[in-house]
Amino acid sequence: MDLKDVNTADKKFQKELNAGITELVLLSAVSRATEPMYGYQIAKLIDEGRENEPIIKLGTLYPVLRSLERSGLLESRVEPSVAGPPRRYYKITESGRRALKRWTEIWGLTRAFVDTRLKEG
Amino acid sequence: MIKSVEEYLRQLKKELAGCDRATIQDALSDAEEYLRNTLETRPDLAEADALLPIIEKYGMPDEVAAAYMDIESRVQVALAPARTSARKSLASRFFGVFADPKAWGALLFLLFFSLFSGIIYFTWAVTGISLSLGLMVLIIGLPFIGLFVLSVQGIALIEGRVVEALLGVRMPRRPIFPGKSLGWWGRFKKLISQKHTWLSIAYMILKLPLGIAYFVVFIVLISLALSGIALPILELGFDIQPLVINNVPYYTPVWLMPLTVIAGILLLILTMHLAKVLGRMQGALAKALLVRY
Repeated sequence: MDLKDVNTADKKFQKELNAGITELVLLSAVSRATEPMYGYQIAKLIDEGRENEPIIKLGTLYPVLRSLERSGLLESRVEPSVAGPPRRYYKITESGRRALKRWTEIWGLTRAFVDTRLKEG
Repeated sequence: MIKSVEEYLRQLKKELAGCDRATIQDALSDAEEYLRNTLETRPDLAEADALLPIIEKYGMPDEVAAAYMDIESRVQVALAPARTSARKSLASRFFGVFADPKAWGALLFLLFFSLFSGIIYFTWAVTGISLSLGLMVLIIGLPFIGLFVLSVQGIALIEGRVVEALLGVRMPRRPIFPGKSLGWWGRFKKLISQKHTWLSIAYMILKLPLGIAYFVVFIVLISLALSGIALPILELGFDIQPLVINNVPYYTPVWLMPLTVIAGILLLILTMHLAKVLGRMQGALAKALLVRY
């Protein structure tokens, strides 16, 4: 494999890993907020303190936000803003909090499992 | 290398080609919101230089497009009712229309919502246009036109949400990002000059005659069907005369009564099918006139 192929393969691997992680990260980011946040704020929060290329491309967050809302884990309301178009503010729901708790456990188990397997190798 | 936000959006639009138009509008609004908001935090750099790390974080157009298409395909599958109808017989498809939520949604939209919203939209659009023209010579003319056109965008979004809920046609879920760099006057010119604004106004005006037509057609069809079904009960049970000429009551012959009931039921079923077809057409019209891309 030349460098370009390696790059594509890495990107594909990362993308497949991200499929579920994105939802977990978004849920946890929204749950920690003291007040409802809109898309750009959430993206900023997740990106905070990272200088190099992000694990999750911020552009992929927006569609996931909407899909989380559709499954009832987040709720949103639209508010007018001074500078631009109205913004959609997201807040976590009760069932979102429960899902976050379960998913965090699942993530912990998964990580422990993968780590042990990798160490054995 | 992508040198400007416009170029990024053009490429993103190209990557999303073939997607639902409403998805494209949502994706472009999301991207524009992020890129412009982030650009504003780097006023010291030229747009092309500042954009490079921003796009690195947001994702290249092809990556972002892939994410939207991925989610959208999953959602479409979840939203679509189980696709068993194709295998069902013609008869069960004909009579099963009462169990079809799409038919009920369309009936609700056409019978109740269309006339009601048509009156409001028509009044709003005609008042807005006449006042805009009349006030044009005065100093408050321009702000008034701006507010009116903004309200048209808001109404287009709300109408889209109702259309998606009741008619099952994917419509935009976010307002359109106006583009901050333009300034007030530039934004105003863009709003006035874009086709989308005028198509939305055309839709608002068109909604009243359409709403009246839908209302009349469905009220007449439903009353005819129900009266056919109720005819034997009314005549035999309550002795209500269907026709009186010169004080002489005329009754329906008894042999005809089963037929009026059957005709009534058939008419009711056909009405539901008509609602489905008209609902699809109304959805297509809304999509053609209210979606920008």
